[in-house]
Amino acid sequence: MKLYTISFFVLLICLCPVNSFSQSIDILLKGGHLIDPKNKIDAQMDVAITAGKISQVAANLPSDKAKKVIDISGMYITPGIIDMHAHVFHGVDPGSYIANGFHGLPADGFTFRAGVTTVVDAGSSGWKNFRLFKMQTIDRSKTRVLAFLNIVGSGMYGRLEEQDVSDMNPVMTAHMITHEFPNIIVGIKSAHYWGDFAQVDLAVKAGELAHVPVIVDFGEHHPPNSIEDLFMKHLRPGDIFTHTYANGFEDRETVVDKAGKVKPFIFTAQKRGIVFDVGHGGGAFSWIQAVPAIQQGFWPNTISTDLHTESMNSGMKDMSNVMSKFLAMGMPLSEVILRSTWNPANVINRKELGNLSVGSEADVAVFSLRNGDFGFLDVSGTKLKGKQKLEAELTIRAGKIVWDLNGVAAATYPVKTLP
Amino acid sequence: MNSRFYMPAARSFNFTAGINGLRSQLLIICLLLLYVIAPAQQYDLLIRNGRVIDPKNNIDAKMDVAIKDGKIAKVAAGIPVAQATKVIDASGLIVTPGLIDIHTHVFVGGKPETFADGFLSVSPDDFTLKAGVTTVVDAGTSGWRNFPVFKEHVIDKSKTRVLAFLNIAGNGMSGSPTEQDVTDMDAFMTSLVVKKNPDIIVGVKIGHYEGSDWTPFDRALDAAAKSNTPLFVECHLPQLSLEDQLKKMRPGDIITHSFEKIEERMPVVDEQGKLRPFVIAAQKRGVLFDLGHGGAGFWFSVAIPAMKDGLPPNSFGSDLHRFSMNAGMKDIMNIMSKYLAMGMSLDEVVRTASWNAAKSIRREDLGNLGEGAPADVAVFRIREGKFGYVDAGGNTLPGNRKLENELTIRAGKVAFDLNGITGKHLE
Repeated sequence: MKLYTISFFVLLICLCPVNSFSQSIDILLKGGHLIDPKNKIDAQMDVAITAGKISQVAANLPSDKAKKVIDISGMYITPGIIDMHAHVFHGVDPGSYIANGFHGLPADGFTFRAGVTTVVDAGSSGWKNFRLFKMQTIDRSKTRVLAFLNIVGSGMYGRLEEQDVSDMNPVMTAHMITHEFPNIIVGIKSAHYWGDFAQVDLAVKAGELAHVPVIVDFGEHHPPNSIEDLFMKHLRPGDIFTHTYANGFEDRETVVDKAGKVKPFIFTAQKRGIVFDVGHGGGAFSWIQAVPAIQQGFWPNTISTDLHTESMNSGMKDMSNVMSKFLAMGMPLSEVILRSTWNPANVINRKELGNLSVGSEADVAVFSLRNGDFGFLDVSGTKLKGKQKLEAELTIRAGKIVWDLNGVAAATYPVKTLP
Repeated sequence: MNSRFYMPAARSFNFTAGINGLRSQLLIICLLLLYVIAPAQQYDLLIRNGRVIDPKNNIDAKMDVAIKDGKIAKVAAGIPVAQATKVIDASGLIVTPGLIDIHTHVFVGGKPETFADGFLSVSPDDFTLKAGVTTVVDAGTSGWRNFPVFKEHVIDKSKTRVLAFLNIAGNGMSGSPTEQDVTDMDAFMTSLVVKKNPDIIVGVKIGHYEGSDWTPFDRALDAAAKSNTPLFVECHLPQLSLEDQLKKMRPGDIITHSFEKIEERMPVVDEQGKLRPFVIAAQKRGVLFDLGHGGAGFWFSVAIPAMKDGLPPNSFGSDLHRFSMNAGMKDIMNIMSKYLAMGMSLDEVVRTASWNAAKSIRREDLGNLGEGAPADVAVFRIREGKFGYVDAGGNTLPGNRKLENELTIRAGKVAFDLNGITGKHLE
């Protein structure tokens, strides 16, 4: 008798939370076209959010159990966008470039309005100033901020400091990841080095010690070092080459040759597992490279902004604008979304992100696909025309609405009040 | 053809002049060409065929705007294309003076919990240029003690023109204890710093004082009088009644958050939606009502009846900061679109965002496209469609028009170009 009573209560306790979950939905996003590349969904489907997590994804979910129903008919719904290359270590050190400097940007002002819920800072900090970055930016942002740690201990303080090989310590850098911040730091950055392959090799060594990828901003060499050597002899599969479509003939070898052909070893490198990232920035995206590359089938693995003060008001603008550029070059929307969600999640080995599987954190983007006559600038001030443009309508981060362009989630004024 | 292409040829020739007869003939041709072409390039930039709305100069017509050396050189119909080095086609677009946002918090810095030198402010260039704004006024984030830091860290480094109201609190918006310290509200020191920076500081601000003592308010008024500038009154003065605040204000003083509905301040309209008589009296006396949208400062249920009753905002201060940037406010274009949806005419919307704002901060050199004015220009389009505008209460007002900033010129330079209308075409 006693056993039965206990069993009954145990059963009751077990069932209670399950029951309450299944009966209440906090937010139901209804009528949108879902693109969730991980789960191979590209169809009209409703998405339910409960307690900050994705609770159901299915066609025609009933509205009666939802506390809030948002009609997103005619819009696209995707996992929250991941921008894998940004600079958000904003600060006021007057001597610094991007590490705690004026050229970095506070994340939240640029992310949500473009559908982005996760940014990866691309090596603005190194092991010596990462804690400041964390305290000052990461812990205070609503955006999920992850980071590549610069192989240079002081991060991107300035070009001169970035040449100092004695400040490139693979052991300390790897230790910061394996022992201190494995949940935030996703890889190692190598950038702006004027010498040979020494910096890349040290970054790869740190990557091996910490079992994380390396992202390389390769450049500023006169004459340029061989990128074929970089891809075949120095980087590992899974390592990332950013600023893929930069057209700096003088200080970085390009992926497309002067005749407009993608160099054959580029395809080999991508097959080998080298990850090609866009990293648009203020100087690293040219139509003369990107258009022939896309036409010849050399597509980026990941789309990203290289957000900082020099790119925010130029041809780059924001993530949704960069994504729209790939639409303008003829890439299908589902492929653009793949390269802005599930692909970057895989590259940084954070497979819980970039998808809308049931149980994952509810980071969601809702876009309108505008039709009209649009123009897209590259870094040389050349324009490519396009007929479509993505506009972020609604952004949800961990189940909370953090951006609502046209008030689709709000009550219509004047509100009818109860008698 | 561009005269600049001929200049190097002419210059390089000087080294060989007199040596080679053929070259000296070339020189003559080059000089002749220079003579013909160079005077033709009168303007650096020509914005053609747009609908120019310049309320100060009573212009609302299809016109061209020519820019030279960072200034407006000419506004007229049919300025010849050949007279400009660069020509921008603004057909179908609206061309206005660069917009002025008189209520922002842009003293951004590393301090985690504050507006002054802190994380709660935002960098101006991050938000302004993309929204057509070329001038912002910081609303008292700094006081006389930390204004130099603000100037060095933000004002001097920004492409946006950053002006400021100086807080009567010596350290500006540095958080609760210091903002309540009446002993650090010095009218004389504040007026000295205002007068020392006449090109930047446009007035004095009072706000965020929680006591019932009128001393801070009176000192701010005193500092404004001593420096001959307007007083800018923010809310967050919970124990000082709106009626008394307005009574103390002089003609030309500015009150912001005009259409808010929060516990700590009485709304400008009563329960029946009628403007309160003392509000009307203050308006008649010349007190100016700024919008001050922010995160909590704008409610349709106050703003709509107020406008119907004759109190539209005199200026569209956005109250841009960390908490308003992603909320119903978004940016000044969104506020302007909101007022279009509320029934304000486009001319009035532009006037409120440019010339009226300039006059209220006594910077009549700004907010207009008169000849000789700084070449700060906004070019935007009116999108047609189904849009929604959100207030601080989370209510959406539907609208069928939305302004979208296409191009921003700051001091004659292209500072933002949404769709590449200044760009070369890809061949």
